[in-house]
Amino acid sequence: MPELNDDDIRVLAKAVNLDIQDSDITDVKHSLNAMLDAIESINPEGINGIEPLPVIFQTGD
Amino acid sequence: MNNQDLVFLSATELANKIREKQISPVEVVKAYLDRIAVVDPKLNAYITVLADEALVAAHEAETDITSGLNKGPLHGVPVGVKDQIHTEGIRTSSASRIRSDFVPDVDAAVVSGLRKSGAIILGKLNMTEFAMGDPITSAFGVTRNPWDLSRSPGTSSTGSGAATASFMCASSLGEDTGGSVRGPAANCGLVGIRPSWGRVSRYGVDGASWSLDTIGPISRTVEDCALTLGAIAGYDRRDQYTKDVPVPDYGAALTGDVSGLKVGLIKEFLDPDVMGVTEPVRQGVLDAARLLVSLGAEVEETSLPLAQVAGVASRIISSVERSSLHPEWLRNRPDDLHHNTRVAFTAGELVPSSVYYKAQKLRTMVRRQALEAFERFDILAMPIASEPATIMDLRPGIPSKQAAVRALTEGSYRGLFSMVSGPALSICCGFSTDGARKLPLALQIAGRPFDETTVLNVAYAYEQNTNWHLERPPELN
Repeated sequence: MPELNDDDIRVLAKAVNLDIQDSDITDVKHSLNAMLDAIESINPEGINGIEPLPVIFQTGD
Repeated sequence: MNNQDLVFLSATELANKIREKQISPVEVVKAYLDRIAVVDPKLNAYITVLADEALVAAHEAETDITSGLNKGPLHGVPVGVKDQIHTEGIRTSSASRIRSDFVPDVDAAVVSGLRKSGAIILGKLNMTEFAMGDPITSAFGVTRNPWDLSRSPGTSSTGSGAATASFMCASSLGEDTGGSVRGPAANCGLVGIRPSWGRVSRYGVDGASWSLDTIGPISRTVEDCALTLGAIAGYDRRDQYTKDVPVPDYGAALTGDVSGLKVGLIKEFLDPDVMGVTEPVRQGVLDAARLLVSLGAEVEETSLPLAQVAGVASRIISSVERSSLHPEWLRNRPDDLHHNTRVAFTAGELVPSSVYYKAQKLRTMVRRQALEAFERFDILAMPIASEPATIMDLRPGIPSKQAAVRALTEGSYRGLFSMVSGPALSICCGFSTDGARKLPLALQIAGRPFDETTVLNVAYAYEQNTNWHLERPPELN
């Protein structure tokens, strides 16, 4: 995935009605790029068959 | 015994001596208040000290006990409470300027539980702003680690760890989303248990991440931890996710017998090339495993390959859930948030839904893998962190994307069992030395969902055969 740059962060923030401060942009970019990069590389076999729900109490708990 | 030495008794010892009328709860509270006056200016563990309220409660306890009324197993014992946990008529700030004048009308369920068991609420403890994972964000100033003032006391229950370790309360409550009970317990040389999700009511606790938050005790001994957990555990109709199952007598279950118990050591977290564990931590955990073998437990290494991704998945989930709780704060009062909190809230809002969903899928897969391991083992064990308490960087900001990635990876040590949603406990398993300072090391012990009893008993067996819990931080007066 290409790295998000400062302008990308501004656009994303605007899309959720967030007036992001210039002093925050670099750190938000580091944090978001880290999360997006890290999870993109994690693709265990069978993940597409999993339902994206936090099933916390399962049978036998 | 000098009255000032009362603070060095365990909560269990205090409770017994108070019940047997050997000491007065008033003397105990006064001793703690004296201790706080001397020590807390160095540590900043308390946001609010409830001196007057605690003394009134202590006099009431004394009257009750003198007349033969025993309210419960913590009668007269002073306890500290993390400041995201509501206390009726007492400010509950979540360590933020935004909540600095919030005074709840009702006690949190866990505070009610403490009071019903006779505990005296000594004060509200410092924490990171809105329970974020960064030690420097509290609007009430940074809390210091009593073992080394330059190092993190562990997040986010910073004050719970620091106050308990420095004998400024007999036991305390923290809140654990991705390790906020276990981390402070580890960094401060204490015992902390994250109970099963659904074991303890979250009613009246300012949330961090709805699907991961748990309330748990941080204490100086396993007995104290069991005693405190017993006071707060149980079904509560006000929290729809508490489970209506009996609460065992945790104290009575501490037999110290672990013979025949099957313990799985998660090997990914003991391999420096996989998860970066440092040698002192690795040795501390392996020594603990050897001790459990000598006590009759069967210990073997096991692999949980997906455990490595627990940090990434759990941090993404908590980032999104946390930022969704109060989106108005980011829009209406951004300057009242610490820079790092504002950055974390903003990043959480910008995570795409597909990424959040993928993290939830990973959570299910990680949890399944761990539960399969629990079919073969009674207990899983591993370190709580790759290294002992680190030096705090007091400068706001994230140095680089790489630093953010490292934090996600390190989060796997604690995020794993946050996502499994069973109990996980941290206990001191030795000390490393850095210059003149000793720094606590910690072993993490996890169990099947709702099996806190086995987890506590393994910790108790370990504690009874070691002396780490008798070590004290350097005196600060």
